[in-house]
Amino acid sequence: MNAIAPSFPAHVQTGALSIRNLSKTYPLKGRPVPVLQGIDLDIRPGEFVSILGASGCGKSTLLRLIVGLDPDYQGQILLDGQPLNGPGLERGIVFQDHRLFPWMTLQQNIALALKNHDLGTAQKQRLVDEHIALVGLRGYEQAYPHQLSGGMAQRGAIARALVNKPKVLLLDEPFGALDALTRVRLQQELQRIWVQERCTVIMVTHDIEEALYLGDRVIVMEANPGRIGEQVQLELAHPRQRDTALLFQHKQRLLAQLVGH
Amino acid sequence: MSPFKALTWLVSPLALLALWAAVADAALFPANLLVPPLEVWRSFADLLATGELQEHLAGSLSRLSLGFAAGALAGLAFGTAMALSDTVEAYCAPLFHTLRQIPSIALIPMLVLLLGIDETFKVVIVAKTAFFPVALATVEGIRAIPRSHFEVAAVYRLRWPTLVARIALPAAVPAIVTGVRVALTRAWVVLVACELLAADSGLGQMIEMGRQMLRIDVVMVGVAITGVIGFALDFSLRRVERRLSGWQVAGR
Repeated sequence: MNAIAPSFPAHVQTGALSIRNLSKTYPLKGRPVPVLQGIDLDIRPGEFVSILGASGCGKSTLLRLIVGLDPDYQGQILLDGQPLNGPGLERGIVFQDHRLFPWMTLQQNIALALKNHDLGTAQKQRLVDEHIALVGLRGYEQAYPHQLSGGMAQRGAIARALVNKPKVLLLDEPFGALDALTRVRLQQELQRIWVQERCTVIMVTHDIEEALYLGDRVIVMEANPGRIGEQVQLELAHPRQRDTALLFQHKQRLLAQLVGH
Repeated sequence: MSPFKALTWLVSPLALLALWAAVADAALFPANLLVPPLEVWRSFADLLATGELQEHLAGSLSRLSLGFAAGALAGLAFGTAMALSDTVEAYCAPLFHTLRQIPSIALIPMLVLLLGIDETFKVVIVAKTAFFPVALATVEGIRAIPRSHFEVAAVYRLRWPTLVARIALPAAVPAIVTGVRVALTRAWVVLVACELLAADSGLGQMIEMGRQMLRIDVVMVGVAITGVIGFALDFSLRRVERRLSGWQVAGR
């Protein structure tokens, strides 16, 4: 088992994320309540990190800070050594709800993400088409979000997040709102897409199996206040099989640990 | 749907017409005050034949379109600015919410003194009437947009022209069109009222002249036409509303 090479390839040079002593508080009835405390994380370029935790442990807040939607925190977040300042096109995010704009077609939704890119119209069009094909939605270019199923809309959201070729892709419980079968299928799809794109991925989830199946590393987050707990390194090449014994062992152990004995 | 069902809406106007004919026929009122429907119809045909009605209509509708377009566009721009900018909101909100409580009719005496009774006065009052409902609907429509839409816009670093044109306005379209409908109905009512008071042409003026010459048939033609025009304007905007908010209804 240990003979298998690490699954992140050496050619990915950018997309290293360093989080240094990150803390965040929310005011509650005028008093600051800590949501994240002393988070230290180093994520290698091209690594797939799953952050596993119960709801309310601050894992989604962590993603909001990384994507730049909330500038109010202590500590540092560095992308390739540079401190972050607000949102940027080198970071893409997929939320639990697809958040496609209902008044735009799939194609228009994805093209909007390219709005601030210095590319020609034809080149943008090509990128949009490529990414629609990448997530398997060819033929639905002109469909409105309400005409797509939940799983298809979420694929669209993934295409929109990837069309900028981000160095870091953030996934905030991306399959949390989908039915079990669609979820399994989309996990497989995500693995295929990631093997192809090899950007750095941070996926937040409360699904142990999902975290193990996709992650090079699984980080367990503890709640109140949110902090880093156990880290599991998974030396297992992608694409993976779901029923691998190693994943199963980890699953049993994490389950016992998270849910209690 | 059976062909009879499609005509259901006709029942109430026909009933009203029948009641009107019956009351006129019973001679409860002098025939020159409550003119029977058939005579009103004849006057309508006469006014149409002489081209008088078309002239009045053209006068009213041109004032309406000019004033309404100006007022609605200004309302749209102001509403957008107030919804998206805290500064505009801080400076203008209290004044805006006070001014919108003033009925347009209450401004007539003052505007007549300032602007006279010519076109300017009517166009200004129509614009004022259209401005407030559209501005209010725009503010509230944009405010009601879920924050998640703006977060996505922030993630893709959309600049404000894109933000307004591609996110804020389309998302608020259903609310805005409803505001535009309200505005158009009110503007039409206020315009006819203004023409009653001071005008040398227009539907309201036709009604007023009819009253002065005790031609109640002409008055009634004017009243009926006012209603029909108002209905037609509202009806067409309803169609527009349904088209533009298709994504919303179907999404539910």
